[in-house]
Amino acid sequence: MIAARLVLAAFVAACLAWLVSIDLSQRITTDVLDLLPADERSPELSLVRSLSADVQARVVLLALHDSASSAPPSEPAVAAFLSSLRTSNVMDEVAPHADPAQREALGRALFERRFELLLPAWLERMHAAFSRANSSDTFAAWTAARAAAELESFLAQPEAMPLQDLIPSDPLLLVPRVAHTLGDFDTLPHPTNSFALVWARLRASPLSDAGQAPVFAAIENALASARTLQPTLALQWTGINRFAAASRARIQREVAVLNLASVAAVFAVAALFLRRPWQILHLLPIVLLSLLGAWTATTLVFAQVHVLVFVIGALLAGVAIDYGFYIALQPPAPDNPSYTARLRPILRPLVTSCFTTVIGFSLLAFAELPLLRQVGLFVGSGVLCALASALLWFAATKSLSLSPRALPLLDRGRFSSRRIPFAFLALAALLALAAPALLEWRDDIRELEIPSADLRANDRTVRALFGDTPNRSAYLTFGDNLPHARAQLDRFVQHVENHAADLAVASLGTLFPTEHAWRTAPARLEQLADFPDRFRAALEQRDFDPAAFASFFSTWSAFTRARPAADYAQLYRDFLPHLPAPLRQSFQPFAPRPWFLSVINDSRDLSLPSNLDTVPVRQLETFNELFSRYRTSAARLSLIGLGLVLLSVMIVYRDRRAIRILLIPAGACFSSLGLLSLLGHPLNLFHLLGAFLGVCLAHDYAIFTSASAQAQRLPASAVRVSALTTFASFAVLGFSQIPVIHALGTTVALVVSIALLAIEIEARTPPPA
Amino acid sequence: MIPARPLLLLPFFFFAIAVARAALPAIPDPAHDPRWRDLFAALSADTARVAVFEERRHFPFRKKPVVLTGELRLAPGRGLSLRYLAPDPQTLIGDEQGIVVRDARGRTRTPPNDARAQAAASVLVDVLHFDLHALQQDFAFSGERTGDDDWILQLVPRSDSVSNSLGALTLTGHGTTLERIEITRAANQRIEILIRDARENVEFSGSDLKRYFR
Repeated sequence: MIAARLVLAAFVAACLAWLVSIDLSQRITTDVLDLLPADERSPELSLVRSLSADVQARVVLLALHDSASSAPPSEPAVAAFLSSLRTSNVMDEVAPHADPAQREALGRALFERRFELLLPAWLERMHAAFSRANSSDTFAAWTAARAAAELESFLAQPEAMPLQDLIPSDPLLLVPRVAHTLGDFDTLPHPTNSFALVWARLRASPLSDAGQAPVFAAIENALASARTLQPTLALQWTGINRFAAASRARIQREVAVLNLASVAAVFAVAALFLRRPWQILHLLPIVLLSLLGAWTATTLVFAQVHVLVFVIGALLAGVAIDYGFYIALQPPAPDNPSYTARLRPILRPLVTSCFTTVIGFSLLAFAELPLLRQVGLFVGSGVLCALASALLWFAATKSLSLSPRALPLLDRGRFSSRRIPFAFLALAALLALAAPALLEWRDDIRELEIPSADLRANDRTVRALFGDTPNRSAYLTFGDNLPHARAQLDRFVQHVENHAADLAVASLGTLFPTEHAWRTAPARLEQLADFPDRFRAALEQRDFDPAAFASFFSTWSAFTRARPAADYAQLYRDFLPHLPAPLRQSFQPFAPRPWFLSVINDSRDLSLPSNLDTVPVRQLETFNELFSRYRTSAARLSLIGLGLVLLSVMIVYRDRRAIRILLIPAGACFSSLGLLSLLGHPLNLFHLLGAFLGVCLAHDYAIFTSASAQAQRLPASAVRVSALTTFASFAVLGFSQIPVIHALGTTVALVVSIALLAIEIEARTPPPA
Repeated sequence: MIPARPLLLLPFFFFAIAVARAALPAIPDPAHDPRWRDLFAALSADTARVAVFEERRHFPFRKKPVVLTGELRLAPGRGLSLRYLAPDPQTLIGDEQGIVVRDARGRTRTPPNDARAQAAASVLVDVLHFDLHALQQDFAFSGERTGDDDWILQLVPRSDSVSNSLGALTLTGHGTTLERIEITRAANQRIEILIRDARENVEFSGSDLKRYFR
């Protein structure tokens, strides 16, 4: 007894010392993306994940409007709002969306650098067209004529009139050609929009505390500041931090309610089966010790643990308490009242059930999904700790037992023939065998999020104000290095041109030349030594006044004499500071895998060959495909786990009992999945996980009733109490609004109830004649 | 006495025209002015219209204007469609959603959200619909009607921003028909649109609406 107490005390002290030493709030994440492996082998997913987590996640979109009129907010009020946000220290950048001053500054910067940024691509295009034309003219003469023709053609475009001031300095139309790229890429609010739109980027992660409450307060203060100038101002805004905060609050609320409801359900069952239901509180330390051990083991191994692990792990309580029931409801041996004598008859089933559960869940350590690895460790270590705690607890305390209530009603009833039992068996077998045909798997990453319909509707509304429509598709083009990524972007644009000529690709990457164009530009400029004279003549022929283009010829002359930059990447370094923050997010030239974002104003699915290194940014579909892959992998592991469980059971029970012990949980599992599918419920990864947990639990009941079944006795109270408390606690979880918990709860409750029903019917079935 | 160099008189001629135009009587309340009310009501009738147009774009760096020809369509609720036939086939559509250009291959693009581009396109829509309320917000009206049913309207921008991006508008017509629009930013920067063969109360088929509008 003293030794047991010492061991328990040391265990508690060690676990608490570890948990106190770490900052739990930093270890627990609510980010859905953290459920995905950081080193996910799919490069596309890595990029999409990077875009989501690092780029988009920190963006906050704010829309101010006057609630009393349709006029846009006054400029002083908007300025006060911006100033307050900028000085709040929670935002890295705050900018009016589509600010005309910023755009003009960008246009000016682009115009000033048009020769170094845009001329190389122009030269490359002209050279390629010249090569195809097979003209007898020199490159300079042909290019001059072509440029003059293109200029004349451009004057027929709608853009010609507003851009006419540029043309004398840019008759090659370097800047006008890219003007529409910026227009298509960066959607702009409709001119009649009565909103003042603000784009901001958070300093802290939206999933951390620093990125939530302080940000919310800063936005409220900014609005209050603006309202001092325009009291009728209203604000709509959206950001990942709003979802994260709502998700965390929802989980905390729901877990608390669910835990209370589970405890109440367990007590209700205990009150039914125990003479003194309050004695169940004696088993509480076992539950707490198992959870303590599980938390410690999981946080020791994993630096970050998703909150869902703890939510799923709370279900461990329903499993841990079973060991307490089995020991506490085991009557003492008549000839030896000692604890070890009392334990002896149930030790083998206890250890077998514990280790088979641990074996099954430990296989999840090989799962691709970190969540499954974490759940596997949490449940496995928790079950081990539950058994050890139960054994030590009863050794450490006075000999404790629970007094079962006699329930003659429950023990009554035997089947007079085997027909009804066989009908039940046939029905269960039918469901189980039909399951593979009935099963509909639907993996949706949204199952992992806590639905918040109001926030989603708000998000859609605000994004629509910023021009984000469902009719646009975005693509990421990446490469091993910057020149490669830029070259791939060109290939992607050309591919769309060739295969979907009615679509236009808009990408800021096209402001920059490819490395090849940049390196060959000096040589091509040398071939155009007499281009100015040729161009003057060509312009004259087309009724232009060459004298009007004096500024262009002057700039051309200066540029051709200047020495080109030595470093291709310098083009990007020099121009990036001139891009407004929202546009800067659209490409990462200096990332380990540089990428460029492109936008097409069409939602059509383009099938892209893999050698373009371009993927659609369809995050939901990408993640859902991934979850399907993980589910398949988890199913494979589960089947291997079941196989190992069968093997271990057959080693321990070397007779027909092994088959019974396997068939009951397996049959209950497949029948449950078949029943859910028959009722029209699509299944996902968490139904699979629940089925696996249910099999492990049903496995325990099959093991513990193997002796009584052989003796054709009814199941012991311990099995009934543990099965019904498990059923009650998981059934409560089936009412959860959290899709994951709902899936787990309903599946486990179904498997456990079918297994218990099978055991009860088996015990009441007459033996064969 | 005949001037030795009659061409020298040309500047004076144009100056006289300019002075004459500048002296057009103001129309302080176009919506209620009895001299113009009927004309404006007729011009702003919300009917489907088709016409042929010739657009001349004058640029300071070009000796001759660029000439574009095409078809003009107005559909109630659908906006304006300018189908350019020459030199490059394309269709410019202006409606409540903004301005969009559709090229011969069916590709649609939005011209840059440049104040001048949008202002020019949207004022053209307002003029062709003759949205008096919208025009009055940005322009001061002056004009004259002659005895033989010809008329001339001058719309002068009220704000510097509109003046810088667009310039003044001069509309001329006969009867209830708008025949000419001139958008003048400077003497050597202007657009002239000549409209002829206008038909009203036209019926557009479903395929027409799909082809020429958004």
